[in-house]
Amino acid sequence: MLIFGPVLPGLYWAVNPALDPAVWQSLWFDGQWAQALRSTLVSSVIGTVLACGMAALLATLHYPGQLWMSLQRRLPLLLSVPHAAFALGLFFLIAPSGWLARAVAHFAQWTSPPDWVTVQDPYGLSLALALAIKESWFLLWVLAAVLGEQAVARQMVMGRSLGYSRTQTWRLVLWPQLLPRLKWPVMAVFAYGLSVVDMAIILGPGTPPTLAVLIWRWLTDPDPALQARGSAASLILLTVLLACALAVRGLAWLMKLHRPYPTGQRKPAASRRWPRVRTPLFLVGYAVVAVLLLWSVAQEWFFPALLPAAVSLETWQQADGAPFWTTLWLAVAASLLCLPAVLVWLEWGPKRLNALLYLPLIVPALPLVAGQYAALLHVQWDGTAVALVWSHLLWVLPYMVLTLIGPYRAFDLRLMTSARTLGYSPWKACLAVKWPVLLRPILATLALGFAVSVAQYLPTLFAGGGRFTTVTTEAVALSAGGNRRVLAVQALLQIALPMAAFGLAAVATHWLGRHRKGLR
Amino acid sequence: MLNIKNLTISNAEKNLFSDLSLALNPGEVVTLTGVSGSGKSTLLNWVIGDLDPSFSATGELWLNQVRCDTLPVEARRIGLLFQDDLLFPHLSVGQNLAFALPARFRDGKARRQRVEQTLSNIGLDGFHDRDPATLSGGQRARVSLMRTLLAEPLALLLDEPFSKLDAVLRTQFRAFVFEQIEHQNIPTLLVTHDPADVPQGGRVIEISDWQHIHV
Repeated sequence: MLIFGPVLPGLYWAVNPALDPAVWQSLWFDGQWAQALRSTLVSSVIGTVLACGMAALLATLHYPGQLWMSLQRRLPLLLSVPHAAFALGLFFLIAPSGWLARAVAHFAQWTSPPDWVTVQDPYGLSLALALAIKESWFLLWVLAAVLGEQAVARQMVMGRSLGYSRTQTWRLVLWPQLLPRLKWPVMAVFAYGLSVVDMAIILGPGTPPTLAVLIWRWLTDPDPALQARGSAASLILLTVLLACALAVRGLAWLMKLHRPYPTGQRKPAASRRWPRVRTPLFLVGYAVVAVLLLWSVAQEWFFPALLPAAVSLETWQQADGAPFWTTLWLAVAASLLCLPAVLVWLEWGPKRLNALLYLPLIVPALPLVAGQYAALLHVQWDGTAVALVWSHLLWVLPYMVLTLIGPYRAFDLRLMTSARTLGYSPWKACLAVKWPVLLRPILATLALGFAVSVAQYLPTLFAGGGRFTTVTTEAVALSAGGNRRVLAVQALLQIALPMAAFGLAAVATHWLGRHRKGLR
Repeated sequence: MLNIKNLTISNAEKNLFSDLSLALNPGEVVTLTGVSGSGKSTLLNWVIGDLDPSFSATGELWLNQVRCDTLPVEARRIGLLFQDDLLFPHLSVGQNLAFALPARFRDGKARRQRVEQTLSNIGLDGFHDRDPATLSGGQRARVSLMRTLLAEPLALLLDEPFSKLDAVLRTQFRAFVFEQIEHQNIPTLLVTHDPADVPQGGRVIEISDWQHIHV
């Protein structure tokens, strides 16, 4: 309540100025919005479609089988790379002077970077690529959770035992059932792409930027007229989301209407070996980290060279440590504060309202952040540490609930009944039995909450009032400047923090469960 | 004829079976019993072709003089029935059956007619367009078996197919299954832990005995 409540009046205050027709008129005559909307649409639609396509292709090709298992094991590592850091690493890879161009230069005898626009292109294509790769990992992770269910796994065996190949069973049996379940995650991906600011600053077009960046600039402008224009434009973002969701909905309905009568046609499995698509997809992840590492220790690294001429730890030693510590306490505070709320919500909260809780994940972040900010301004708490932590909770909480809800539902309730029959009150039974048994997923959830907080960009800027710098805001701010070494260090710190959290959670569960095999 | 020849299945810890051989005649139902964790399901998974990657197996599977253990699941023509009916929830009852019907029945009308007739044979007249979720447990079980049989399998595997039904239904459905198997005249491997499931005069193999003899 405390987390969500104030956002509603905040939203009202934030949207209120947009109700004036003059604001819309000024937006219409601004001249930037059309191009900005185009690059936003291109990047988010192509990004989402590509992400879905890649995830679907990988699943269809590799599930069931050992390749799928190994893919599943690697996903958490890739997922823990924050969006901004990934975008920076990708920038270092595909920029005209990036690693890819250097590799080509080696063979093509180039001596200077090619004259192509490979990043920050006016259409937002490089941003689309970054979103596609990053979000395909997320979608694969969601798919892995669904495919882990026994009923789904058995349907695959059933389809095949009736004579259909794996690909056919995927198409005829699994996809029609899984797609409705994937609609919310896909929606979240699309909403993220629509309102992403940090990645768009790094990889997106400059003038005009994507709509989200434009809105963010307007909203943070001291001129109230521009702020109102920002509110109005953020309503456009919401409308686009709704329109696209409705369009997809309609398409799904049409497809369902035209589901043909089963023909019984069995197609033999393709004998042609498919290329191993998963390798390049993961390679990008590793290459991103590798190129960041190299830049962070590079001294001189001129264009065609594949490796820096000299390395030193100088950049690391001179790095500004303040953003790191701010990020650390902020993420620790946010995730620790959320944990009791998550547990209480899952145990005693109204089950039907879970959907409401997920709203921040499927709604573009910009209007929400604006609402938070308006609420904070109203009580004049903007720019305080409390406000900053509070602003993060709106995203940390739903992600933590989403992660923990599966294990929580799978918990064998008879254990609780046993405890109750032994005379424990519900509260005590939770403390003594349920939560200790669920320790492993709880710690993992805590780590995830930490990671979500580390990756937050917009709330930090708005609620922090510019007084707090985290590794994320620092990395994005530096991306305009161009000192790649300093930039790489901040991006790596941003990657290191969540990884350390996940590692710590894994070690802690292992240690705490060292005498209890059932807990590990 | 379904033939298992010199089968050894093991994982990192132990041998589940070693050098096991078994032959099933057409129309014969062989019952496999054993406590849970004894490896019944693992054996079934190997026969289907869906062995968990943590196990490794050597040995041969022959079905009517065709070697099957090298074939993928979909090419083996071995039908399967689980304790859960596993009807596809996105298809109607009739479409579930049509899904299994071979493409030999070409024309849409002929297919639908064939499915309607199958439904009527099992006492489910007019159920073609029903949502499987609205059927009773017994009805679902019957549709599920018919779906498996419509695909014209050359052998059948039943993985505790009766265990989720209540006592009365169980007896009825059991009789129904054995009648259908006799009708199709295909070898059948039945896994169960209920002695009452064993058909009259059928061979029963207690899996632990087997492991003692062959290990």
